[in-house]
Amino acid sequence: MTNSSSQASTHALSTRRIGLAIVILLILIFSLAPILWQLLTSFKTTADIAAIPNVYFPKQLTIEHYTEIFRRQPFLRYMFNSGFVAITSTLLCLLIGTPAAYALARLKLPGEQIVLAATLIVTLFPYILLFLGLLELVRTFGLANHYLALIVPYTAMNVPLTILVMRSFFQQLPRDLEDSAKVDGYSTVQMLLQILMPLTLPALVTTGILTFIAAWNEFLFALTFITRESMKTIPVAVAQLSGTAVFEIPYGALAAATVIGTLPLVLLLLIFQQRIVQGLTAGAVKG
Amino acid sequence: MFTVLHLFRTERLPYLRFVALTITCCCCILLWGKIALSQQPIHLSMLTSALDAAQGQSLVAAFEAQNPDIKIDVVEGPNASNLIEDLYTSSFLLGDSPYDLVMMDVVWLPKFAAAGWLLDLTDRIPANDLADFMTADLEGGRYDGRLYRLPVRSDAQLLYYRKDWLQQAGIQPPDTFDQLMAASKLLQSAGISKWGYVWQGRQFEGLAAVFVDILAGFGGFWVNPTDREVGLDHPEAIAALQFLRDTVTSGISPPGVTNYQHEDARRLFQGGEVAFMHNWPYAYPLSNAEDSPIKGKFDIKLMVHQPGLTSAACLGGWGIGITKTTAHPDAALRVAQFYASPDAQRLSILENGYLPTRRSLYADPAILTKYPYFSGMMSVIDNAVLRPPIAQYAQASDILQRYLSAAITDRMSPEAALQAAARETRALLAQE
Amino acid sequence: MSKTLRDQERQTGWWLLAPAVILLLLVYAYPIGRSFWLSLFTQNLGTELQPVFTGLNNYGRMAIDGRFWQSIGNTTLFTAISVLLELLLGLGTALVLNQSFRGRGAVRTIALLPWALPTALIATTWTWIFNDQFGVWNDLLMRAGLIKTGINWLGDPHWALWTVIAADVWKTTPFIAILLLAGLQAIPNDLYEAHTLDGASPWQNFYRITLPLLMPQILIATLFRFAQAFGIFDLIQVMTGGGPGGATETVSIYIYATIMRYLDFGYGAALVVVTFLILSLAVAIAAFWLSKLRPAGDWR
Repeated sequence: MTNSSSQASTHALSTRRIGLAIVILLILIFSLAPILWQLLTSFKTTADIAAIPNVYFPKQLTIEHYTEIFRRQPFLRYMFNSGFVAITSTLLCLLIGTPAAYALARLKLPGEQIVLAATLIVTLFPYILLFLGLLELVRTFGLANHYLALIVPYTAMNVPLTILVMRSFFQQLPRDLEDSAKVDGYSTVQMLLQILMPLTLPALVTTGILTFIAAWNEFLFALTFITRESMKTIPVAVAQLSGTAVFEIPYGALAAATVIGTLPLVLLLLIFQQRIVQGLTAGAVKG
Repeated sequence: MFTVLHLFRTERLPYLRFVALTITCCCCILLWGKIALSQQPIHLSMLTSALDAAQGQSLVAAFEAQNPDIKIDVVEGPNASNLIEDLYTSSFLLGDSPYDLVMMDVVWLPKFAAAGWLLDLTDRIPANDLADFMTADLEGGRYDGRLYRLPVRSDAQLLYYRKDWLQQAGIQPPDTFDQLMAASKLLQSAGISKWGYVWQGRQFEGLAAVFVDILAGFGGFWVNPTDREVGLDHPEAIAALQFLRDTVTSGISPPGVTNYQHEDARRLFQGGEVAFMHNWPYAYPLSNAEDSPIKGKFDIKLMVHQPGLTSAACLGGWGIGITKTTAHPDAALRVAQFYASPDAQRLSILENGYLPTRRSLYADPAILTKYPYFSGMMSVIDNAVLRPPIAQYAQASDILQRYLSAAITDRMSPEAALQAAARETRALLAQE
Repeated sequence: MSKTLRDQERQTGWWLLAPAVILLLLVYAYPIGRSFWLSLFTQNLGTELQPVFTGLNNYGRMAIDGRFWQSIGNTTLFTAISVLLELLLGLGTALVLNQSFRGRGAVRTIALLPWALPTALIATTWTWIFNDQFGVWNDLLMRAGLIKTGINWLGDPHWALWTVIAADVWKTTPFIAILLLAGLQAIPNDLYEAHTLDGASPWQNFYRITLPLLMPQILIATLFRFAQAFGIFDLIQVMTGGGPGGATETVSIYIYATIMRYLDFGYGAALVVVTFLILSLAVAIAAFWLSKLRPAGDWR
């Protein structure tokens, strides 16, 4: 009696585990298949790419598409542009957002609830609503084809997230630390820089990665405010890649460009996935 | 950077300041020397489709060989021409245009000119130099009476027909819409041809261009550029759309025609499945190629018309203009004049088969030997009609395309569709 | 003494806050306010790009603009279907990732991958997968015997919107999954144990404990995704550009074309204003629900 029931439960357990394994496998296929297909395409010969039916296991691999994109277009330059804009705006964003987060977390300011609520609401508005006004600003200040035309909006669009994540971090810090620093005669700014700063580093990294990803991936402003080839960022440059034959789109080169453009992000994700998850949940759920 | 400034300010290391100053001075001298001694060629930049960039390589080479002081940097864009238009538009709108030269389709000109982005060429080119150009092509480069573009390539829509099948059935090429319908039905019922007439019904600029031809054949108009009257809800326009709709319902055109672009139509015609095709001249050399099953079996003529009226072909074509803000207007003008010159056009035509914009080239022996059918094309271009040369053309065309598509796919009646299109177009044009 | 210290702290606080507030005002508040103002003017090619005051004329034009209403319809459909699918799939993924199994960290990383990649690049990937001639999706379906000839997924007006939705679901499901996973992990295990002892089935567990406790996260994720999906631009711009024949044209694509292609700034501003108002209304409704679920004042 006992025996058979335990057998039944192990049986149920094992079907459950098999079911779980299948679902996990499905999740993996769902997430990976498109990326792997693009990766495979980027290494296939042009003949294999255009073969019908599709070639799933090519006999021959090539790196010609990679050499082609670097030869035909200033691809390193696009990478540099994306990297420069993303890193600069990330640093600026931390520089501007962190003090604001501290003020909202610790210092009792009149109307801070309003500032906080406004920050939350602002994250909900799609960039398309902003771009007409920003376009005018860019034209007025002559920022066309200038890194600043991207850095300023990228910084601004990530400040709300920075405030939310960093604020929740500051709220978790013990207050005593700051109180004792004040007793020791530190001013607020000194205390921020010399005592809190080292403690915040992990949280800053978390926020910085999220900010970097958002800035690297942005498309609308990069498409609109940059028209000079040498200033373009990766997403726009790849989206505008085209072929030389009448109705041919260079799928191999496009695939190679996609792989190159996503590689930095894949690496970031692999290294920092724990932090990214923390940041996402702190920014959204606790907000 | 910060530390360097810091060093300068505190006089802790005075010799460092001296070293830095010396290095800076040397660099300046070297740079100045380099600029002064080497005569850098002027770089002029132009955006074209990747296809045009590839086909235009020999032109660039020829120009640079003759003009060592100028380099043409051709930026490759997407192949879809509306995307090129958008790229030019955003770079001009933004200011700081990277492009000195503008290779443009005839329908972009009013917009670019009205926005004040193009250099006025009227007084820069002597009238004599313009005499050789086809009137219609030249007109396509004018806005408000000023010239902004030199035509380098012409284009006009045609009716392609299978002369062998018409002979077999013992009928003449059609001149009117009714004859086209009747001939199609005859060929289809006799089992000679699978389909009668194929055109471009996808919602895109090509559909608007087809409709312009049909509309002209019915004696209607789209927008009158002088008084900006909208003629889309007039009886002629409704009859024209009814004709397109009828080709689908009566089975003369394949049902998929409402989703066709130019290449879909050409493949069907070249594959020997259809008797009549509405298309641009680019299809001629392709259909007449050695490996084409219909080589030598087809001919071209102007699109049909209503009895008592004449037909007019929709004009296309490309031309070159100059960005108003370019730093080198004179150099740019030399490039533009070169591209429009007889020699350059001949070179490009012999390689790529486009139609010339100069009268003299329609009688050019080298060109006529290679493309004998060009001799008949001059009258087609002479009779061609422009799509409305209004600044808001892109917007007006998108409105029309939406409603044409709705009518030919039977989502709206031709009358209701064109009434709505006319209402929206009037609202658009009443904006002043 | 303590009062001045308090004042000083307050002053420092405002200085700390000021750069962020100024930046947000410049990049968010100004453009939206400016659009409200500009929507009262006609500024387009017909006026040689000079603003001419025309009152509510732009809004009148919008009322008879069939294309605007079509784009609103497309946007609503896109938003509703994609957010719904993402919620279901995201919840499922979160429930699976909440189980304990070996290699859970790695699976979670991989599941998060689509979210981290640039949408514009992912759009080219999907365009290639759904290619009518060489696309692998058609190939797989044909090999499975489900279709006989390839479908033109992005070129056929009947399929294009669904194809774009599929790509969006792939891209953003991980975001929802991660948010919901965090919510699941915050639910104490004792609750389930107690319930199971009372003889509740797993389904009852899910329905009575998981779902109600997860509701705040679900609502927040929905709100976020709703706002993002309503403003979808990059994915559609790259995959179809709004075509074929406007079948995938959303409000953002139409706004972008109105401004960047037609140079119709006044009308574009009016479109921005209307979209802003629609979104604000939706957000207000969602925030109201949210506040009913949570004790007032607890922003954390």
